Amino acid sequence: MTDSVATATAADVIDMAAQRQSPLLQVENLSIRFDGAPLGINVVDNVSFSVAKGKTLCIVGESGCGKSVTALSLMGLLPTPPARIVGGTANFGGRDLFSLSERERADMRGNQTAMIFQEPMTSLNPAFTVGDQIIEGILRHRRISKAEAKERALEMLRRVRIPAPEKRMRAYPHEMSGGMRQRIMIAMALANEPQLLIADEPTTALDVTIQAQIISLIRRLQDESGMAMILITHDLGVVAEVADEVVVMYAGRIVEAGSVDAIFEDPQHPYTIGLMGSVPSLGRRQGRLATIRGTVPSAEMMPKGCRFMPRCPFADERCVNDAPPLAELEPGHWARCWYAPLELHRGGIV
Amino acid sequence: MLRYIAKRILIAIPTILIVSVLVFTLQQLLPGDPVLTLAGEERDPQVLAFLREKYRLDDPIPVQYFAWFSQVLQGNLGISLRTDIPVLTLILSKLPVTIELAIFAMIIALAIGIPTGIISAVRKGTSVDYAANVVALSGLSIPNFWLGILLIMLISVRWKLLPASGFVPPTEDLWLNIKTMLMPAFVLGTGLAASLMRHTRSAMIGVMRSDYIRTARAKGLLSHVVIMKHALRNALVPIITLSTLLFGELLAGAVLTEQIFTIPGFGKLVVDAVFNRDYAVVQGVVLCTAVGFILMNLLADVLYVLANPRLRHSR
Ligand SMILES: Nc1ncnc2c1ncn2[C@@H]1O[C@H](COP(=O)(O)OP(=O)(O)O)[C@@H](O)[C@H]1O
Ligand code: SF4
Ligand SMILES: [Mg+2]
Repeated sequence: MTDSVATATAADVIDMAAQRQSPLLQVENLSIRFDGAPLGINVVDNVSFSVAKGKTLCIVGESGCGKSVTALSLMGLLPTPPARIVGGTANFGGRDLFSLSERERADMRGNQTAMIFQEPMTSLNPAFTVGDQIIEGILRHRRISKAEAKERALEMLRRVRIPAPEKRMRAYPHEMSGGMRQRIMIAMALANEPQLLIADEPTTALDVTIQAQIISLIRRLQDESGMAMILITHDLGVVAEVADEVVVMYAGRIVEAGSVDAIFEDPQHPYTIGLMGSVPSLGRRQGRLATIRGTVPSAEMMPKGCRFMPRCPFADERCVNDAPPLAELEPGHWARCWYAPLELHRGGIV
Repeated sequence: MLRYIAKRILIAIPTILIVSVLVFTLQQLLPGDPVLTLAGEERDPQVLAFLREKYRLDDPIPVQYFAWFSQVLQGNLGISLRTDIPVLTLILSKLPVTIELAIFAMIIALAIGIPTGIISAVRKGTSVDYAANVVALSGLSIPNFWLGILLIMLISVRWKLLPASGFVPPTEDLWLNIKTMLMPAFVLGTGLAASLMRHTRSAMIGVMRSDYIRTARAKGLLSHVVIMKHALRNALVPIITLSTLLFGELLAGAVLTEQIFTIPGFGKLVVDAVFNRDYAVVQGVVLCTAVGFILMNLLADVLYVLANPRLRHSR
């Protein structure tokens, strides 16, 4: 008894160590540009992060920061052209996703990696029943009979808590609400037990009451399956609840990254602080991202120094001319600001 | 669904009534005394009086209309002036020829238009797309009569591959019938293929951009499944409607092509009737064409609903 506990603990320790050494997904220096954008301006610029097995990485940032483009590039779903991956690697289970053939990528999609989207109302094909759409994805990756696939689809509908699943199998998407459709999308995405789920603002388009249900559903399914997740969200409450690691993006760059505790307890980048609304002059926190004066600059208007400079209350000459590097402030906590850690430079400002 | 169809048919009825009034008015607008027109060369007062009585030409116009329309409803479209054959009989003998021609042309149009439309949508912006568009544009701008004459000169006169004209009923010699139909059907079909291609292309491009196509790809489906199943199924909805309407137009629009290839169809019937001032025939043909058009529109609407799960259930 004592022995087996000890063994399990030892195995856990080894397992944890292994996870730390080789994350499930490791993205390094990912840069993406769109044809026609000004030279040298990447919509995603030098982005690096990693996701460990079973863990959750949240990506936050305002609209237009490059979150979806990052996610789509990992799935191989970017429209190319106009998008182009101009640099970087994405190591998933020992293979670089970006050097796989289109066929190999398709074999992974909906299988080892899956994605759900922001728009449940339009993400299902209006011409086919939801049952057929789920079954299709199962049959694509598994050598099983149609009847078995149907059984599996039904099981997935039960797991995402769709009432009367047998009946719902034969329903068309338009007969369902947005929340139900998102559940269908989740059932479809998880049907082949992916190791990584990318959820791109899965609740933004839904009613507030439904949002919480969908998030807790995703959480529960993640606990059951042990999959890793990249969750893109606007909702800092959700981030605090589900994230292990957080990446804050601004104008295509990571401005801050770290563990959820580090980001919430000790935010270092003025943008992150602004999002949290912890600086009164930058607006109040409202559950979602607090509003910060101004907007994300377009590719044409991109400042040459710090990209946050036009909106930053702390900006000075140096910020106008030189882009700050992403610096590691303490182990595992990174920020891209000349004046981070802020306490050091402007004592007591936070 | 049945209720929807019934409703559509009910809506079609007033349209048909309006058309019948227009056709009747056409008769009223004809220059001169209609009795003289109807009587043709005949000038015998007794005959004229008989006709006047028969068509109630002394009654008020609305009464005349109802008398005429009740005849029409009984299938009596009058008698051809020139041939003494009932107009309905004439129409029924010519219509199958035109329908056969239209079906052939439609098959050719669909077989060319839809695949090229799909290919140029999928290869949007490439040389394949540009080439298809150039061909389609030429297809649209080359007049049918010119293409018809060109084909006759090359294929029939020079290479002697196909007969230039002369219709043979399929009951007589099916193979010869197909051979005579091939060129006119091609001439009619290519014109339609061009417009089908352009519509298929734009419908496919629109659909390929939609979120559910991204979902289909996110499932790992291979691109031919994404295109031929998920995208085409949705892009076809407007194409089905368009094809049905085009088919209706084909029935009426084959006039020139039928003239060139001397195919004794509906078009030729109209042209001959117009030249011969055979007004009863013209009237009958116009009425039939209009009704045919309305029916095709009806069919297009019904097919549109059938192809669209969202509408299929809510109606
Ligand atoms: N198809 C496209 N063509 C050109 N630019 C695009 C396209 N898709 C996205 N972008 C640009 O990429 C930037 C990042 O977009 P996105 O990743 O969707 O932002 P978000 O963080 O809101 O998900 C936006 O500024 C947008 O202008
Ligand atoms: S580098 Fe300057 S402009 Fe950029 S966030 Fe820091 S203080 Fe603001
Ligand atoms: Mg987005």
